Amino acid sequence: MALALSRATRRKLASQVFVAVCIGAAALALLALSLIMFSLFTKGFGGMNLMVFTADTPGPDSAGGLRNAIVGSVIMCALAMMLAVVIGVLAGTWLSEIGGNSPYGHVVRFLNDVLLSAPSILIGLFIYELLVRPMHGFSAWAGAIALGILATPIVTRTTEDILNLQPNALREAGMALGASQWVTVRKIIWKAAGAGLLTGGLLGFARISGETAPLLFTALNNQFFSLNMNQPMASLPGVIFQFAMSPFDTWQELAWAGALLITVTVLAINILGRWIARDTDHK
Amino acid sequence: MAFNVTQAAKNGIAGVSAPLPKKDLADPIFRAVAFSAATLLLITLGGLLVSLVIGGWPALSTFGLGFFTSTTWNPATEVFGAAGPIVGTLLTAVIALAFALPIAICIAVFLTQFCPKIIAQPISTAIELLAGIPSIVYGMWGLFVFAPWFAKTIQLPLLLSVDPDSLWGKLFAGVPNGANILTASTILAIMILPYMAAVFRELFRSVPPQVREAAFGLGCTPFEVVSSVLIPYVQKGMIGVIMLGFGRALGETMAVTFIIGNAHGFPESLFASGSTLASTIANEFTEATGDLHTSALIALGLVLFMITFGVLAMARALLSSQRY
Amino acid sequence: MSDTETEFKSVITPPPADQIVLETRHLNFFYGTHQSLFDVSIPVKRNGITALIGPSGCGKSTLLRTMNRMYDLYPGQRAEGEILIDGENVIGPKIDVTALRAKVGMVFQKPTPFPMSIYDNVAFGVKLYHKKSKAEMDEVVETSLRRAALWDEVKDKLNKSGLSLSGGQQQRLCVARGIAVEPEILLLDEPASALDPISTAKLEDTLEELKRDITIIIVTHNLQQAARLSDYTGFMYLGKLIEFGPTETLFVNPKCEKTSDYIGGRFG
Repeated sequence: MALALSRATRRKLASQVFVAVCIGAAALALLALSLIMFSLFTKGFGGMNLMVFTADTPGPDSAGGLRNAIVGSVIMCALAMMLAVVIGVLAGTWLSEIGGNSPYGHVVRFLNDVLLSAPSILIGLFIYELLVRPMHGFSAWAGAIALGILATPIVTRTTEDILNLQPNALREAGMALGASQWVTVRKIIWKAAGAGLLTGGLLGFARISGETAPLLFTALNNQFFSLNMNQPMASLPGVIFQFAMSPFDTWQELAWAGALLITVTVLAINILGRWIARDTDHK
Repeated sequence: MAFNVTQAAKNGIAGVSAPLPKKDLADPIFRAVAFSAATLLLITLGGLLVSLVIGGWPALSTFGLGFFTSTTWNPATEVFGAAGPIVGTLLTAVIALAFALPIAICIAVFLTQFCPKIIAQPISTAIELLAGIPSIVYGMWGLFVFAPWFAKTIQLPLLLSVDPDSLWGKLFAGVPNGANILTASTILAIMILPYMAAVFRELFRSVPPQVREAAFGLGCTPFEVVSSVLIPYVQKGMIGVIMLGFGRALGETMAVTFIIGNAHGFPESLFASGSTLASTIANEFTEATGDLHTSALIALGLVLFMITFGVLAMARALLSSQRY
Repeated sequence: MSDTETEFKSVITPPPADQIVLETRHLNFFYGTHQSLFDVSIPVKRNGITALIGPSGCGKSTLLRTMNRMYDLYPGQRAEGEILIDGENVIGPKIDVTALRAKVGMVFQKPTPFPMSIYDNVAFGVKLYHKKSKAEMDEVVETSLRRAALWDEVKDKLNKSGLSLSGGQQQRLCVARGIAVEPEILLLDEPASALDPISTAKLEDTLEELKRDITIIIVTHNLQQAARLSDYTGFMYLGKLIEFGPTETLFVNPKCEKTSDYIGGRFG
C-alpha cells in the first residue's frame, strides 16, 4: 500500500513538473519573440519619418529615404502575384477538380509541396541562370518572376484545399443543369470559394513581400528611382540587407525603419487574410 | 436531320425531341490550360535542378569529389571546396532544431492541453502571425541586439574563465564578437520556433477528443496522457513536422547571413565564425571574381537542393501518410 | 415554471440500502450558465447493470460523465450536489481524480484504442498503478481479454496495432483495457451505437459476464438493449430523472405517464 501510494505521488509530481516546464517554455518563447518585436518597434520608429516615403536611398552618411525601394517592392510583388494567381489557381483547380487523383496528380501535388518549402535562395539562382545570365543583366522582370515562382506553390496549395472544401452537391447541381465543367467551376465553384481564394492570395503576397534571398541576384538593387522593368530595381528587403550590414549609422537607421515597414505590412496582410477567412466561416 | 436539330434549337423549341448539346470546346480547353498550369510547376522544379547542375558543372568537373571534402575556399587562387559550408549548414540546422523542438512541443502541449481557451486563442494567433514575419527581421535582431549581448555577457566571461587547452576551452574558442555558429543557430531556432509550434498545435488538435478522454478515464495524469497517448497518436506527423522545420533551418538565408560571421573553412568551435551554403551564396554571388567562382557557388546551391529535397520529400511523405 | 420545478419529484424505487454502491444526491450540472441536470438523485446497485434511457439531450450522458469527473477536463463545466461512492463524496475538491478514475472506468461511444499494440493497450492502464513482472502482466492481459470475450480472436496477434481491429473488436478491446485496472464501477456511454448487431450481441454477452463482480452503468438509446441487459433502469427527460426502479417494473408497469409514453414509443 505504501508502495502504491508513493507511486501515485511520484506520478502526480512528474505530471506537475511537466506542466510547469510546458508553461515555462511557452513563457520563454513568448518572451524572446516579444523582445524581438520590442527592438523592432523602438528602433524602427526611431528611424521613421516622412522622408522615408518621399526620398530615395541616400549615399553613405547622408539623409534619405526608401521611396525607390518601396515602389520597387510594390511593383515586383504585384507582378509576381499576377503570375502566381493565374498559374496557382489553375493548377490548384486542376488538382482539385480534374486530375488530382491520377498518379500524375499525386506527383504534381508532392512536388508542389516540395517547391513550397524549397530554400528561396535557390529560386534566385535558378532565375539567374534562366534569365539574368542569358540576357546579360539584372532586371526587375527577373526579380518579379523569381518572387512569382515563390508564391505560386502557396496559391496552388490553398486553392486545392479550399476547392476540396466545397460540397460535391454544388458540382452535381451545376452539372445537373447541363452546365459544362468550365462553367460550373467558373461560375459556381470559384465563386463559392472566393473568400478562401483571396485569403490564399494574400498569404502568398505576405510571404513574398519580405523575401530577400531570391532578389539578390535577379533584381539586384538600384540606388535610384526606376520604373524600368529591364533595369535593376531596388526592393525593400534588398535595401535593408545592404544597409544593415553597412557600418553607417544613417543606413542602419533606415534599415530598421524598413524592417518595421515590412513587418507591419506582412502582419496587416496576414490579419486581413484571416479576417476574410473567418468572416466567411460565420456565414 | 442535323439541320432540323439546329433549327429547333434556334427557334427555341424545347421538349419533345430535346436537341443534343452542341459540342462545347470550352471544357477541353479549360482542362488543357489547367493541366498545363499544373505541369508548369513540375517543369519549374525540374528546371531548377537542371539549371543548378549546368551552372555548377564547371566547378564540379574541375574539383571532382574533392569539392565535397575539401575545406579550402579561396577565390583568389580559384580553389573551392564545400566541406566548410556543408558542415556549417548541417551543424547550425541541427543545433537550431535541438533548441526549438522541445520548446515548440511544450508550447503546443501547453496551448492544447493546459491553457484556458480564453488565453490559448490569442497566443495561438500571435504565434501563427509571428511565423509569417520575414526572416530578415530575425537576422537584424540577431546582428544588432543578440550578438553584442551574447558576446558581452556570455562569450567573453566564458573565454576568460576556462583553460584554453581544455575540452571546454576548445569548444568555446573564438573571437568574442557574437558572430558565430552558436548565435546563428539560436537565431535560427527562434525563427523556426513559431512555425513549428503552430504546426504541432494543429497536429495535437487533430487527435480525437475521445482518445484523450479515454486516457484520462483510465486515471492517467496529464503528463501520461501527453507522453503515452497523444504523442504516439501523431508520431508520424510529428516526424514530418520536425523534418519540415529542419528543411527550413537548412535553407534559411537571411537570418543566418547576418550573424554567422561568414568565415570559410571548417568551423573550429561553437564560438567560431562559420558559413552555411545559403549564406556563402548570398554573400559572394554578386561579387564573384570569375566564372569558376560563380560556378562553385551554384554548385553549393545544388548541394543545398539535394539536402533539402531529401529532407522535404521525407517530411511530405510522412505528413501525407497522416493527413490532419 | 418555477412552480413545476419545485413540485417535480422523481419516482424512485431504490435497491436495498446495503446493496447501493454509488448514489447521486440532488445533483445539478452546468455547461457554463446552461443547466443540464436538475436535482438528480439516483441509487445504483452493486454488481449489476443499471441502464439510463431517455431521448437525445436528456442528460443521461452528462450524468454518466459526472461520475468519473470527466467534466474536469473542460473549464466552465461544473457539478453541484453529491455523488457518493462507497460513502465518499467524489464531487469535493479534495478528491484525487486520478485515483477516482482508476476506480470508475469508462468506455466511450466510439471505440478509442490507443495508438499501440493490442497487448500494450490493455497493459497501459495497469502499468500506471502497479509494477508487474512480464509474466504477471501477461496474465492480466489474458484475463482481461478473456473477460471481454476478445481473447480467442486476438491471441495470435497481440503485437498488432489496436487500430487494426474491427469496430466491434476495438470496442471490446476498450472494455478489456477498462477492466484490466480492476475498477469497481464501469461506465459505458452508448457503447454499441457504432456497432453492427453481431458485435453488439457479443458486447452484451461480455457485460452479462462482467456484472458478477463489477457494477455497470450503461447509457443507451436502445430500449430493447436496456430491457435485455439491465437490472435497474432510470428514465431521464430534460435533465431530470423521471423514474427509477427495477427494469421489469419500469418497462412493464411504469408509474409515470412520461415513462410509459416514451417506452410505448409515443415520443423520443
